[in-house]
Amino acid sequence: MAYMSMGEAHRKITEYLNRFSNAVSSQDGTSFKSLFTISSNSHYLLSLADALNLFQDYNRLIKQSNNYSQIVDIVTPLFRSLQNYRQGNLVETYHAFEKTANAFIQEFRNWESAWALEALYVIVYEIRVLAEKADKELASNGKSPEKLKGAGSLLMKVFGSLAGKGSKRVGALYVTCQLFKIYFKLGTVHLCRSVIRSIETARIFDFEEFPKRDKVTYMYYTGRLEVFNENFPAADHKLSYALKHCNPQSEANIRLILKHLIPVKLSIGILPKDRLLERYNLLEYSNIVQALRRGDLRLLRCALQDHEDRFLRSGVYLVLEKLELQVYQRLVKKIHIIQKQRDPSRAHQVKLEVIVKALKWLEIDMDVDEVECIMAILIYKNLVKGYFAHKSKVVVLSKQDPFPKLNGKPVNS
Amino acid sequence: MDGGEPRNRNPSSHSVSTSFSQSSRSNATHQSKVSTFAQIERGGRVSSSSTSNSNINPQYYADSDSDSNFVPLLGTCPYMCPERERIQREKLRDLAVFERLNGNPRKSSPTLAVKKFCRTISSKCASDVRPLPVLEDTLKYLLSFLESTDNPFEVVHDFVFDRTRSIRQDLTMQNIVNKKAIYMYEGMVKFHVVSHHKLRHSLSDPNIASMHHLNMEQLTKTLTSLFSLYEANRNSNYVHENEAEFHSLNVLLHLGSYSKPMAEPLSLWFSRLSPLVLKSKEMRFARRMLRSFRLGNYKDFFCTAATQASYLQYCIMEPYINEVRALALSCINFGGYKLHPYPLFDLSKQLMIKESDLETFCKSCGLETCTDESGNKLLPTKQETFSHPKGGFQTYSFLGFQEYESPF
Repeated sequence: MAYMSMGEAHRKITEYLNRFSNAVSSQDGTSFKSLFTISSNSHYLLSLADALNLFQDYNRLIKQSNNYSQIVDIVTPLFRSLQNYRQGNLVETYHAFEKTANAFIQEFRNWESAWALEALYVIVYEIRVLAEKADKELASNGKSPEKLKGAGSLLMKVFGSLAGKGSKRVGALYVTCQLFKIYFKLGTVHLCRSVIRSIETARIFDFEEFPKRDKVTYMYYTGRLEVFNENFPAADHKLSYALKHCNPQSEANIRLILKHLIPVKLSIGILPKDRLLERYNLLEYSNIVQALRRGDLRLLRCALQDHEDRFLRSGVYLVLEKLELQVYQRLVKKIHIIQKQRDPSRAHQVKLEVIVKALKWLEIDMDVDEVECIMAILIYKNLVKGYFAHKSKVVVLSKQDPFPKLNGKPVNS
Repeated sequence: MDGGEPRNRNPSSHSVSTSFSQSSRSNATHQSKVSTFAQIERGGRVSSSSTSNSNINPQYYADSDSDSNFVPLLGTCPYMCPERERIQREKLRDLAVFERLNGNPRKSSPTLAVKKFCRTISSKCASDVRPLPVLEDTLKYLLSFLESTDNPFEVVHDFVFDRTRSIRQDLTMQNIVNKKAIYMYEGMVKFHVVSHHKLRHSLSDPNIASMHHLNMEQLTKTLTSLFSLYEANRNSNYVHENEAEFHSLNVLLHLGSYSKPMAEPLSLWFSRLSPLVLKSKEMRFARRMLRSFRLGNYKDFFCTAATQASYLQYCIMEPYINEVRALALSCINFGGYKLHPYPLFDLSKQLMIKESDLETFCKSCGLETCTDESGNKLLPTKQETFSHPKGGFQTYSFLGFQEYESPF
C-alpha cells in the first residue's frame, strides 16, 4: 500500500464529502451514483477507504461543517462500510451499508423528483452483492448465512418506496429483478409471487414505462418461474420476449436466455436449427435435438448423462427428461413408416414385440409389458391416436393422423 | 410389534412377499445405527455432564420452532425435564401417560418426565435448557418408545412428536450444529417419516388425520434443518454416511409437489446440491422414481420401487402408489381395446397389488369389473365413469415391498 500522509487522508475525505454534498445540492445523479459503488473496487473508493482507516477521527470532519448536516446519516455508516470492506470484514461491511441504505431511502422519499434513481439502483445492487459476500464469510466461519435473506426484506422496503404515483415508479422493476436474484439464490422463489402481482396488476405500474433493460431481465426470470411450473406456453412467451428485446451485442445474455428457451421450445414440439446451437455455443443440446428427430431413446439418455452436471446446474434437466415421451412417439412413427413401405395393408397395426426389438437395437432392454405401458401413456396423452389390444399385444393406429404434432402446445399432462 | 400399530389397521391391506430380495435394501447401515436407540432401557439413568465449548457454534439454521432470536447459551439442566417444570406439571396434573410414576397422574420422576415444547419462550435461563449430552440421552429414551406395544401408535406419536420438538428447541437455543446434532436430526426425521407411514392407516379418524398433517409439516421443516446442518459441516468431497438417503427423501416428497406451493422447485434445489449427493445411489433411485412418475411410466415405477426402495423411502412414496395406480387405470381405460376387457390378474401383477384389492380399487375409481365364463375377472375399457378416488384414505397392498419392522 502506498504511503499516505495524514494531511493527504484529510484532503481525500474532505474532497469526497464535498463531492457528495455538491451532488445532492445540484441533483447530479450521475456523479452521485459513483459514490456508492463499493464492490466495484474502484481506485477512488479504495483510496478513500485507506484514508478513512488512517484518519480515524473523520466523524469530527463531518460534524464541523454545516454543508454536511443533511447527509451525515448516510455518510457516517457509508464510511464505516468502506473501512470494513477495505479490511476484508465483509459482515461488518454489509451491516454498515444496510444503515446507509436505510438512511438513503429516508432522504430519497423526500426528494420529489427521480434525480437520484441511478444512485438508488447502485445501492440496491450493492445491498445484494455485499449480502452475498457477507454470507460467504459467515458460512466459512461456521455461522448462519442469513444476510441475503435480510437483504430481501430491505429491498421489499425499497420497492414500497417506489410504488407511488411519481416519476420514481419506473425504478420498481430494477428492484424487482434484484429481488428475483436474491430469491433464486436462496431457493425461496415462492416469494416472487407477491412482487409479480404488484408489477402486473397495480394501477400505478404500466409495464411499457419501465426501462427496456429491466423488462428483459424481468421476463427472463418470470419465464424461468413458468418453467418450474411447467407452464410452457407462458414460459415461451416470456423468454421469447426477453430474447427479442435483448441487446443483440450481448451474446452472453442471449446464450443465457436460450439455455432456458430451447428446452421450452422442445417441450412444445419446436426444434432449433443446428446453426443456432453452433452460433451461441449451445452444442450440449445437439444430441437432444437429434434424439427427438430420430426417435433415438439411447441418444437422449446418453446426451442427458453426458451433460448432466450442466443441465442440473442450469435447472433444465427435469424438463429435458420429459422429452422422452416425444422420442417414443417418433420411434413408433418410424416403425409405422417402415411397415407402411413393406406391407401397406397392415400398416396401422404395430406389434408390441416390434417395438421391443427396436428398443433392443437401441440397447434398451424393455419387456412387452413396459412397452404396452408406454403405448398406453402415449395414447392417453394424445401423442398417438389409436388403441392397444392387450390380448393380441398390438397397437392399432388411427387411419387419420395417428401421430399428431404438438404445434406449439405442450404434451397433455 | 403388531400391537404397536393402530388397532383399526385393515389386515387385508398388508401381505408379505417372499420374492422380495433382502440384499437389495440399502439401509443396513441405518439399521445398525438406529438400533442403538432401542437398546436404551426405559427409565434408565440419564447421564449429566457439562457441555464442552467445541460443541457450541453460532446458530446456523433458523428452525422456526424458536420464535425469537436468542443469544447462544450453555444449558445446564441435568434432567430430561427441568425440575421446576416437572413439579409444576405434577401440580397441574399435566403428565403424559409415559411420565406417570406407577401410573399416578399426579406423580412423575426425574427419569420419567420429559420437557414439553413451549411455543412462547420468555427469558429462559440456563437451568431450563438441557446440554447436548442430556439431549442425546433424552432422544434415545424417546425413540425407544417406538418399540412399545403397550399403547396405540398415535398415543406414542403424540408424545414423541411434542418432546422431540422441544429437543430441537433446546438445540437451537444453544446453536448446536455439530455432527452430533446431525445424528440427532436424522433420528428425528426418521421418526416423522415412520409416523407418516403409520398414521396414514387411520386417516379416517379426524384426530389422526390432523396429526398426520402436522407431522408432515414437522417432517419437511426438520428435513430442511438437517440439510442446513449437512451444509454447515461440509468438508470437501465428503458426504455424511446418511446424507444421500435423507436428500432422496426430499425428492420423493416432491412426487406430489402440486400440493406444496411454498416448496423450493426441485430444479432449483438440484442446481445447488453437491454433485456427490446428486449422483449417489440413493439420489439416483429417487430421481428415477421422479422420472417414472412424471412420465407416467407405471411399470418402471413399481418395478424400481420394489427392487430398490429402502424402508424410509417407501414410507414417503406410499401415498403416491395409489396415485400411479389410478393413472394406470385411466390410461388403460382410455386406450384399451373395447372388445377385449383387460384381465385383472395381468393388471394386478403390473400394479403389484392383490387381485381382490385391485377390484376394490377399480370400483373406487368409478370403474366396473366383470367376470368371464371361466371365472376370470376383467376390466372393460372405454368406461366413461372414471374418476380419481377421493380422500385416498384406504390403503391397499403393495406386493413389491415386504412388511418389516420399523428400524427404531
